[in-house]
Amino acid sequence: MLQANNLTKEYNGIRALDGLNLNINSGDIFCLLGANGAGKSTTINLFLNFIRPSSGQALIDKVDVSTEPLKTKEVIAYIPENLNLYEELTGLENLEYFVGLSKKKYDRTTLINYLNEAGLQEAAHTQRVKAYSKGMRQKVGIAMAIAKQAKALLLDEPTSGLDPKASNEFSELLIKLSNDGVATLMATHDLFRAKETGTHIGIMKTGQLVEQFSTSEINHSDLEKLYLNHMNK
Amino acid sequence: MILHIAKKEIKETLRSGQFKWILGITVLLSLVAIFISQEQWESKSIQREISEDKERELWLAQGSVNPHNAGHYGTYAFKPQFPLSMIDPGVEKFTGISIFLESHNKNEADNVAATDQTGLSRFGDLTPEFVLLFIVPLMIMALGHRAITGEKERGTIRIIQTQGVSNQQLIIGKWLANYIPVVLITSIIFLLASIVIHKFDWTLLATMWAVYLVYFAVINSLTIIISSLVKTSGTSLVILLSIWIVNCLVVPKLVSSYTNQEYPYPTKQELAALISEDKKEGIDGHAPWSDASKKLEEETLKAYNVNKLEELPFNFDALRMQKGEEHSAKIYAKHYDNLKAINQNQTKVYQRLAFLSPFLPTRFTSMTLAGTDYNTHWNFADQAEKHRVEMQRILNGDFAENSKLGDWGYQAEASLLEEVPEFQFKGTGYKETIYAARTNLLILSAWLLLSTGLMFFVSNRI
Repeated sequence: MLQANNLTKEYNGIRALDGLNLNINSGDIFCLLGANGAGKSTTINLFLNFIRPSSGQALIDKVDVSTEPLKTKEVIAYIPENLNLYEELTGLENLEYFVGLSKKKYDRTTLINYLNEAGLQEAAHTQRVKAYSKGMRQKVGIAMAIAKQAKALLLDEPTSGLDPKASNEFSELLIKLSNDGVATLMATHDLFRAKETGTHIGIMKTGQLVEQFSTSEINHSDLEKLYLNHMNK
Repeated sequence: MILHIAKKEIKETLRSGQFKWILGITVLLSLVAIFISQEQWESKSIQREISEDKERELWLAQGSVNPHNAGHYGTYAFKPQFPLSMIDPGVEKFTGISIFLESHNKNEADNVAATDQTGLSRFGDLTPEFVLLFIVPLMIMALGHRAITGEKERGTIRIIQTQGVSNQQLIIGKWLANYIPVVLITSIIFLLASIVIHKFDWTLLATMWAVYLVYFAVINSLTIIISSLVKTSGTSLVILLSIWIVNCLVVPKLVSSYTNQEYPYPTKQELAALISEDKKEGIDGHAPWSDASKKLEEETLKAYNVNKLEELPFNFDALRMQKGEEHSAKIYAKHYDNLKAINQNQTKVYQRLAFLSPFLPTRFTSMTLAGTDYNTHWNFADQAEKHRVEMQRILNGDFAENSKLGDWGYQAEASLLEEVPEFQFKGTGYKETIYAARTNLLILSAWLLLSTGLMFFVSNRI
C-alpha cells in the first residue's frame, strides 16, 4: 500500500533522506524510529507530497504521489504530532468539515458513531475544540481516518506528549484500524509504543533506513539495545 | 466542495467576536449614512423645488416690461436633483446647482454647497458612497486577511491538504465565504436606499449595485492573494491596510495632482480676461458707435434697401442686441469648449492611470450612474447656456418686432414672459449613461479578471 523506491531528498546538497526503499502492506503498522533529523518526518512529508523528492518515488496504492497528489490523498489520513483543529467549532463540526473535504458525506448520527468508535466521550462531541486536550484532538483525527475509510495512515509522532493512558488508547485504535486492513506508517521516538503497536519497525539514521524487522522477532530489551547501538555508532 | 468550505468559514466567522464588531460598525455606519443622506437629499430637493417655483413667479411678476430689461433681470436654471445622488453626491458639492441666466453674460454655476461648509467638509461626508468606497473594502480586508494565513498559523492547512481538496477549491471557498457577507451588506444598503429614494430608475440602481459588487470582488481577490502569499496574519493585515491606503487615498490624490499639473484649468480671472479680450473683437449690443455696430448698420440698410435705420421694419437697437448676444455666445462657447477639452484630457489621464487602483474606475462609474459627475455638470451648463441664448432671442425678437428705433421705453405685454419657457434639463438615458461609463466599466472588468487570475496563480504557492 505504501511504497518508497530509492526515495531521496536533498536540501542544499545535504541528503535528508538517502535512497529509502520501503514496502508497507495493508494491515501493517510500520514504526519509524530514529533521532531528530534522522529523516522520519521527511519520509512522512514525501508521502504526503508536502515536499517533492529529489529522486525516487513515493507510491500510495501504486500511484506516485508527485504525479497524482489529489488521487493519492483520497485514500490516506494524516495525524501530526499536534492535530490542529478549528477552535470555534465542535469536535463533531470539525469532523464533518474535514470528512466533507474528502468528498464523503455522512449524517450526524454516523459521524457521532465514528467519534464514539475513536473513543471520544459523547459529552465532548458538541464542545468547542478549544476546550479539548491533546488526546481528544488525536481521537478526532482517528475518527477522521475512520470516516474517510482511509487505506493508509501517516502519523508523525502522534503520541508525543500524551499521557500513558491516552497513548495506550491511541495504540489500541491503531491496532483496530490495522485489523481492518489499514496500512500505517508512524514516525515515533517511543520505543515501547513502537514495539507494542507496530507490526514492523525501521530504524533510521542520517537519512538512511539502517535496520528493518518484524516486532515479533524482537523483545523490548533487545529493541532498546539495538536502537542505542545504532545511535551510538 | 467549494460551498462546503464556504459554509464552514461562514459558521466560524459568525461565531467570532471580531466579525460581530466589524459587521456592527459597518451596518451602523451604513444606516447613519443613509439616514443623513436621505434627510439632506429631501431638504435640498424641497429647497430646489421652492426656489424653482419662486424664481418663475418672480420672472412672471415683472409683468409688462421692456424685453431688454427683462433680459438683464434674468432668471435661474436649476440642475435637477437626481435620485441616485442620495447614494453618490459626486462632485455636486463643488460644482453648484444653479446658473443665473441674463443678457450678455454666461455665468458660472452657483449655490456651491462646499462654500457653506466648514473646513472639516474637506475630509468628506458620511454618505452611502463613502461607506461603499472606503469602509466596505476595509471590512473585506479585516475579515479576510486571515483566510489562508489563519490556516497556516493553526496548522490546519496541512490537514486540509491531505483531504484531497485542491488549493484552487480552497481559495474559491474562502473567497466566497468572505464575499457573501459583503454582498448582503451591499444589498441591504441599496435596498434601504431604494426604499427612501423617490422616483428612481431601477436599471441605474441595479447597475450601481453590480458595479460596487465587482469592486468588492476585486478587493476580496486581492485580500485572498495577500493572505495566500504571506505567512502570518499580522503581515497580511499590514500589507492589506497599505493597499487600502494606496487604493483609496494615495492613488486618487496623486492622479488628481498629476492631471491638474498636466492639464491645468485657467483661473477664473484668466478666463474672464480672455473672454473680455475676445468680446472686444466683435459687436457689443450696448456700443452703437463701435466699428462692428457701424458695419452691421451698413449691411442691414443695404439688405433692406433703405437709407435710414428709422425706415427699417423693425427696431435696429434690438437687432444689434441680438447680434451682440450671438457674438458673445460664440466666444463663451469657444472658451468653455476649451475648458471641456481640458476636462476630457484630464479624464483620459485618469483612465490611463486607473490600472493603479480599482477605486478610480468605480468612483467615476458610480458618479456617472448617479448623474453627479463632471460630464453631467457640463451637460447642464451647456443646456443652461442654450436656454439663455434662446431666452435672449425671444426677448430681442419681441423688442425688434414691436418697437421703434430708440424706443427704450417700450413695454412688452406680460404674456411675452410666458413665452420664455421654464428651463428643463434633459438627462441622458440608460444606454447613453452606460456608454459614457464604458471605459471605466472596461477597466473595472479588467481589474476583476486580473485579480481573479492572479488569485488562481498564487494558489499554487499556499
